[in-house]
Amino acid sequence: MERKKFLSQSLTALGVAFVAPITKACSKTDVIGDTDETGSGSCTTTPSETEGPFPTKSPSALVQSNIAGDRTGVPLSVKIYITNRNNSCAALANAIVDIWHCDAAGNYSEYGGTGMQSTNYTSVHWLRGRQTTGSNGLVTFTSIFPGWYSGRAPHIHVHVYNSSGRSLLVTQIAFPTDICNTVYTTASPYSTRGTQDTQNSRDNVFADSLDFEMSAVTGSVSEGYTLTHTINVSA
Amino acid sequence: MKQIQLAYRKIIDAQSTSVWERYVFEDSYKEFLMQFQFYNTENKYYTFSRLSAAIPAAEKLHFLVSTAVTGYITQLQNKIPGIQNTLGKIFLPFHLYCFEIIDSDIRDKKAHRVAIIFYSEPLQWLDTIGEHLLISIHTGKESTHNKEMIRTELVKLQPFMSIYSLQKTNHATAIPGQDILS
Repeated sequence: MERKKFLSQSLTALGVAFVAPITKACSKTDVIGDTDETGSGSCTTTPSETEGPFPTKSPSALVQSNIAGDRTGVPLSVKIYITNRNNSCAALANAIVDIWHCDAAGNYSEYGGTGMQSTNYTSVHWLRGRQTTGSNGLVTFTSIFPGWYSGRAPHIHVHVYNSSGRSLLVTQIAFPTDICNTVYTTASPYSTRGTQDTQNSRDNVFADSLDFEMSAVTGSVSEGYTLTHTINVSA
Repeated sequence: MKQIQLAYRKIIDAQSTSVWERYVFEDSYKEFLMQFQFYNTENKYYTFSRLSAAIPAAEKLHFLVSTAVTGYITQLQNKIPGIQNTLGKIFLPFHLYCFEIIDSDIRDKKAHRVAIIFYSEPLQWLDTIGEHLLISIHTGKESTHNKEMIRTELVKLQPFMSIYSLQKTNHATAIPGQDILS
């Protein structure tokens, strides 16, 4: 059988879905084309697949709105408005907002003891996320209600950058104690640990600035909660 | 017959030329510049080595900056880049890796150097032929065309490649990584 005919019949048998990648591999304009190709003929020494299949630009794994990953808990929608003190506290667009917080058991995602990560990144980057503000200065994350760990009141970490990545503010968001008490005593899996051991008023981060860092939280254990908070930065 | 896992350390720096490596270089440096600021609160430091020596918590930058390359790791489709069999094919499967910042400098992009160590899936080490390992990536008991034959690969010992774990048994059970690296 002629090679062309064989390929044609094979592709037909494989289905349309396989045609595109194969065509892409043959394209001279493909992005992989500027790797170490050594030309055609018998002198080729570097296989074309050396650099891996079709590298393309990929955003950070942090760039995700739903940051729950594989963590379980009471759903929490996080709405953070970024405003600019240098512009009459108007909404700040295009600000990059990182948030991270602990899971229901009080643990943060990071390396295990071996320093190794799985290629399934959601198993290690949970409860960390990055969004960019729109024209209204708002970023929204879908997460779970954080737990607590000894010595700290419940909180969410926030790092705000300008659009070019320059740090504008590192801060934390506090939670109303009555909501925390409800979640930590009635909802699974929080209730096995009970209420937090550190109140906002005795927390070494929030004690002197709680008015600025306290969030508004509405909702219920069954319906989930929505956290709303405004952060003023100097941009 | 022994079961082994290979490790391969790929270094990426300003001299790296492939498209995949350039993406990793550029995006990991950009992420480094962002995350560095969290620990460099007094703006006293410029390099990762100086910062992490002064502020041990900055060691978390390895993990935090790794978020920038996760997408590129995924694009490898679980095949370790840079290790070819003697047929010139990339073949070695992995699902665990470790990203590290060798060093970097917020003033000088050319000083940015990172490494990714890829850990292979468990392999059967069947023989050693000269500078080559004869291995099989099929450690299970899956059927072959001929019961007397198993599929094998020849891979050359090379710089930055190592055997990092070994199990003297015919049973294909995973070797806990923490026992090896801790």
